[in-house]
Formats: sequence, structure tokens, C-alpha cells
Amino acid sequence: MLSIRNLHAAVDGKEILKGIDLEIKPGEVHAIMGPNGSGKSTLSAVLAGNEAYEVTEGEVLLDGENLLDKETEERARDGIFLAFQYPVEIPGVSNLQFLRTAVNAMRVHRGLEELSAVDFMKLAKETTKQVDLDPAFLKRGVNEGFSGGEKKRNEILQALLLEPRLAILDETDSGLDIDALKVVADGVNALRSPERAVLMVTHYQRLLNHIVPDYVHVLAGGKIVKSGGRELALELEERGYGWLGIKDSDEVEAG
Amino acid sequence: MMKAAPTLSSAFLEAAGSKLPAPLQALREQRGKALADMPLPTRKTENWKYSSRYLKLTDELAASLPAGRNCGPGLAVDGYHIVIHNGVLVPEASDFPDVDGIEIRSFVDLDDETAQQLADRLDNTLDNNAVQMARLNTARFEDGLYIRLRQDAVLDRPLFVIFEADAEAAGSVYPRIYVDAGANSQMTLVEEYISTGDQTALVDAVTEFSLADGANVTNVRLSLEGENIHHIGATGARLLGHARLDSHCVGFGGPLRRHDLQVRLEAPGANCRLNGVAVTQDKQHFDNHTTVEHVAPHCDSEETYRNIAADESHAIFNGRIHIHKDAQKSNANMSNKNLLLSTGAEIDTKPELEIYADDVKCAHGATVGQLDETALFYLVSRGIDRREANTLLSMAFINELIEQIPVEAVRETVQARLNRFIEQAFEGA
Repeated sequence: MLSIRNLHAAVDGKEILKGIDLEIKPGEVHAIMGPNGSGKSTLSAVLAGNEAYEVTEGEVLLDGENLLDKETEERARDGIFLAFQYPVEIPGVSNLQFLRTAVNAMRVHRGLEELSAVDFMKLAKETTKQVDLDPAFLKRGVNEGFSGGEKKRNEILQALLLEPRLAILDETDSGLDIDALKVVADGVNALRSPERAVLMVTHYQRLLNHIVPDYVHVLAGGKIVKSGGRELALELEERGYGWLGIKDSDEVEAG
Repeated sequence: MMKAAPTLSSAFLEAAGSKLPAPLQALREQRGKALADMPLPTRKTENWKYSSRYLKLTDELAASLPAGRNCGPGLAVDGYHIVIHNGVLVPEASDFPDVDGIEIRSFVDLDDETAQQLADRLDNTLDNNAVQMARLNTARFEDGLYIRLRQDAVLDRPLFVIFEADAEAAGSVYPRIYVDAGANSQMTLVEEYISTGDQTALVDAVTEFSLADGANVTNVRLSLEGENIHHIGATGARLLGHARLDSHCVGFGGPLRRHDLQVRLEAPGANCRLNGVAVTQDKQHFDNHTTVEHVAPHCDSEETYRNIAADESHAIFNGRIHIHKDAQKSNANMSNKNLLLSTGAEIDTKPELEIYADDVKCAHGATVGQLDETALFYLVSRGIDRREANTLLSMAFINELIEQIPVEAVRETVQARLNRFIEQAFEGA
């Protein structure tokens, strides 16, 4: 489904990704782990089309098509979804209006009829339950005044409504207490299907207790330095990144 | 050699006689004489600095637009309504309230005694040095609306006054309203300025409010005239103890759009909310000047103005807060945010604070910016079309203020027009 080949990317002229290779097939869940500053979020941003990042080399194919030539909105319609680490607050645009506009843009792209306000409201309300979000949040400005956990649940709500082919979760576990983490994990697990893939970017192993990945990759210095199965995550938890010869800036700072 | 500042063409002061009662006719003539040597604003006139170049008082605009018929449906109204066509009331198109304690009369219908009382009060809410053009209104109005609410009178539905400039020929028109709100009275006045015809015309409109203790007045002012209309307007208000003015001004740009809003808080507890939205496109102009005078202690003012300028248009905001020496415990907030949708557009914003009391809370802020890139990325990353995302964000910028307009029919009309404006602004972008 997604093929990343020798991907290099830079921000402000500084190279962050230095040759990433990754194959993701439908139905798979991949976790990318790594210390802070290893390029995890850069990878998510590049895949979603954030123009602050410049791809300097390599290619990314989605279902055989060149993803990097496409605008952000086209990538989204082709099925790329990025759950943001820091979802943006947009006062003045209601969450409901935002979600409906997005869902209908997606439906039109897929050759489906747009949903009426009433039908969409019904769908949205049901879906809020799935992520344990009060439907009152639909009436508020997009993420406006939401707590950290509410913002993350709103991201998963969007993923459930937009039904992406590849959901990328950028540090979705950060800032969540254990209850919120479970809700978010349940939402992501509900997304799992044989046609859909999930790419989780995370610093910590704890999310992987709830969303069990098929593959774990360790990103360091802009490259994938080790790949393995789920047990790799457990090993990282136990031994840290040090045994791979990687300095975790957090640990360095802590020391 | 210095060139003498241009003065107002005498053509503007050769107004024909009117049907006004003698006291108002006398006031009119007196103002006319005083205006004879009035220098026109120039680039060097501080409060017309950015707008004098749009002001073109040519002789062809001097003639009064001829009174005629009502030209057609105005905007959606939801309440009482009065249609004023080229300055003349059209009774058959109007629906006057019949409510105890509320009197609404044409200036021409006033008896001499009432006309004298009114003549003594007209212009009293406005600082005439700041709003020279309001004086031209007083020198030229041929009629007006005198709205009087007795103590405790409550107008149960909004009153829409629709001023229609019918510019089949070039000329000018001078709409005028005076609202005398008695103690604890309440009303909502919606002023709609619209136009038909395609000749160049000047609308010089003045509305004044006198609010007695505890009076509560909402004023919505919609500037919706066409591309051929030059509009200069002034709104003045004086508020006594615990009176409240809730003002909402929404305007679309034109060749010249100028509005001065002057509010005086004259007794403790008086308070006002002043919201304003102006949007401009093509080569349009819009200039809002506001002044809040905190004369008495313990008064609150809350002011929020937002502008959107697209293409090569020009929007101006000048907000003055003047806290007098005795106005301790004043609470004044002013915010002006501006959105530039193109590199060719211009926005000038200037807060002016003059504070002579030492125990006050006064905050102000002004920003000029473009749409937030991170918000835009967030929206398009959900598959939303870029143009639609721009529209959503631009609407969001002003919707916060539109949603505060307490008349649903107005909100709907305005939102639809603003949407259209914003869609046009992004067309071809």
C-alpha cells in the first residue's frame, strides 16, 4: 500500500530524514519508535504534505502512485490521515461544520452523495460516543478550549468519520492519562481492518500495550536502525535505546 | 506659495426650501451658513489622513436626489419597518409600531414646540470638530425620524429603518434619525443603508441617541450600498446612569465608506459594547472612526472591530478612548484585528488612548495578519478544498462578531453576504 524508498527530508536546510525505507501493507499496524529528535514527527509531516518540510531525495508511493507530487488535500482524499500531535484550535469554525465539510469532501471524492446536515449530525453523534466525547463538543469551535485528551479524542473521531486507508498517529499517546489512553486505543483498534493500515509514531511503549503492532521500527538519526516484531518494543522498554548505540536526548537531559 | 485648502462647493449650500417646521428650518440655515467656509478634509487633516483621497464632493453630487417611489423589496426584515426613499418616508411600504409610550414621527410632521426641542438637541451627541460632514447633514436634511420612548416603554420587536438611495441621477441624500430613549426604556433599531440606480451619489447619514437612566438600546447599522454610492455616516450617543448601548456596525466597502461612532458615557454605570465588521475588495475603501468618552466614573466600554481587506482595497480603523479626569474605575477594552487577503490590500489601524484618571482599567490591541498557515494545513489535511478552507477561516474571523448581533434576520442576511464576499475574494486565487 505505502512504499517509502530512500526518503530524505530537510527543514530550513537541515537534513532530518536521511534515507528511510519502509513498506506497509493493508491490514498492518506499524510502530515507529525513537528518541526525541530522531525525525519521527518529520516523517509524519512529510507524509501528510506539510510544506515546511522539503523532500530532498527518495520517493513515496501510495498504491503505486507518487504521493509526494500531490497536495495535502489530495493525499487526504486518497486516504492519508494524520492525527496531529498538537491539534490546532480554530475558534469561529464549529467542529460540526468542519467535520461535515471534511466528510463531504471525502464522499464527493469517492463518488458518494453528500450527507445532509441532519444525517451527518446523526452519524457524528454516534461516533462521538465511540470516543467517549460529549456531543456538545460538536457545537464548539474546532478544538477550542479542549483539554489535551479531548483534542486527541477529537482526532480519533475524525479518523473514524473519514475512514482513511492509512492512519498516521503522531505521538497520539502524549499527554494522555491512562483512561484517555484506553479510549484512544479503542478508537484506533476500531479502525483496524484488512484494508486499512496504521502507522503509529511514539516515544513510549505504553500505547503499544493497547494497540498491538505487527512491526516495530526504531528511528534514530533520521534512519531506521532496527526493525522487528512486537517484542522489540518490549525490549526497548526494558533496556532503553542505549543498547542500540543510540543516545536518547531525554535520558541525556535527565542525566 | 501654499495653496489654500479647498472648501465645500457653494452648490452644496444652495439647498432648496423644505417642508420642515420653522425651528428645524432655522437650524438648517444656520448650519448652512457656518459651513460656507468649511475647509474640506485633506491628507493633512488627521482624522481624514487615509480617506481624504476618496472624498470627492463634486458639484454634480450637490443636488438632492429626487423623492420618488419605493424601488422594491429591501432586505429581509423581521419586525417593524420604515422605508425611507431618497430621504422621504414611504408610508405604504412601512409598518409602524403601535406600542404604548413609543412615538415615531417624521420631522416634517412635528409641531413647532417639539421641533424646537429637537432643534435644541440635534448634533449634541457629536463632536462637530471631528465630524464635519455631519454638519453638512444638518444643513441639508429635508426630513428625518424622531423616535421617542417614554419612561419604561419597551419596543417588543426590532424596528428596521431602511434608507434607500435611488441613484437614477447623480445627487445626494441626508438621512437623519434622532432617538430619545426615556428612563428604563428599551428598543432595537436596525438601520439598513441600501441603494438602487447606477449614478454617482452621496449618502450623508446621521443617527443620534440620547439614553436616559437605565435605557437599553441596541443599534445595528448595515452599510450595504452599491459601488456608485459614497457613504459618510455618523452615529452619536450620550448615555446617562446605567444606560446601555449595544452597537453592531457591519459594512461592505465602496468608493468611499466612512463611519464615525461617538459614544459618551456621562453618568456612573453607563456602558456600551461596540462591535464592528468591515470588508473590502477590488479597489474599495472603508474607514471606521470610533470615540468612546468616559466622562463619568464606573463606566464600562467594550469595543471589538475586525476588518478583512482583499485585492487592492483599503480598510482603516481609528479607535479613540478618552478617559476624563473624574472617570475613576473606568473599564475600557478595545481590540482591532485585521485580515489581509492579498499583498495589494492596505489596512491602517490606530488606537488612541487618552487617560487622565489614575484608577482605571484600559486595554487595547491591534493586529494585522494573514490567515493562519497551521490552521489552513489542518483543514486541508482532512481533504477540505483549499479555497473552502480559506473561506471557512475568513468567515471564522468575523463570525464571532456577527453571531453577537441579536437579530436573527440580520445575522442570516449578513452571513450570506459575507460568505459571498469571501468566496469572491478567493476566486482565482
